[in-house]
Amino acid sequence: MLDLCLLAVMQEGPAYGYEMTKRLRGRGLSIVGEGSIYPLLARLERDGLVETYREASNGGPPRKYYRASALGRATLGDGVAEWRAARGSIDAVLGPVEVEVSS
Amino acid sequence: MTDFVDECRQEWKRLGVPDAVANEMATDLAADLQEAEADGVAAEEVLGSAVFDPRSFAASWATERGVVPQTAPPVAAPVLVEERPARMHMVAVIAALAVVAFAGAALVIRASHSAGLIGSVRKVVPAPFVDPRPGIKFPMFAPHGPASGLAHGIGVLLLLVAVVGLVAATIYWSRRAKTNH
Repeated sequence: MLDLCLLAVMQEGPAYGYEMTKRLRGRGLSIVGEGSIYPLLARLERDGLVETYREASNGGPPRKYYRASALGRATLGDGVAEWRAARGSIDAVLGPVEVEVSS
Repeated sequence: MTDFVDECRQEWKRLGVPDAVANEMATDLAADLQEAEADGVAAEEVLGSAVFDPRSFAASWATERGVVPQTAPPVAAPVLVEERPARMHMVAVIAALAVVAFAGAALVIRASHSAGLIGSVRKVVPAPFVDPRPGIKFPMFAPHGPASGLAHGIGVLLLLVAVVGLVAATIYWSRRAKTNH
């Protein structure tokens, strides 16, 4: 699922590793407790789902930027459709349940 | 976080990741961690649970990137990788020679034993001997004739082949051992 999230934040524009972490956090998704995004980005690149290039960042060293390839965008579209279908089914099951939520 | 990057570098070096690729990954990682630190963001926010295990993180990243050579062994592995099959082959050869030697020895002993028994039977049993059980020939041992002589010859030949083979294998193995040391 994190791979889809990475492809999704790349829709905003090309980004380097830490920048993607910031975008994920900006949408409320922290990767604390999850695996790092770096091996995942490497796999996406190896599978041809992202393209990379190097470019100087603001005052810092050149960074490796990632952007979704055509295959990556298609994969994102399929993944989002699957996720929505699954979410709908789970909502249908869990939605009517009324329980007291512990704080 | 420099320690983390250094640990990663060591792991990449151990795995045989090309220096250029390792440097590139280390530079990217260091830049990201530096920027996170400047933002006041904990390294855990960038690396997730991997922050506690730099070696696994480095190995996982390099593997996913496809930059770990398939034949990249640990330091002592080249000798072990070559030695193991060679040792197995040598054990198999010695075992085969031992079987041949055993078969040869068995043939020789059996041929000699038959000859001895027949000799003693011939001495004890008066001729002509009347077999009480029709259909069963007596003596039941192979006659000490051309067949027994052939078995003896084959046995001796097998023994010789096995002994020569064992000597050759021993010489080969000792020379190989000296070369490796």
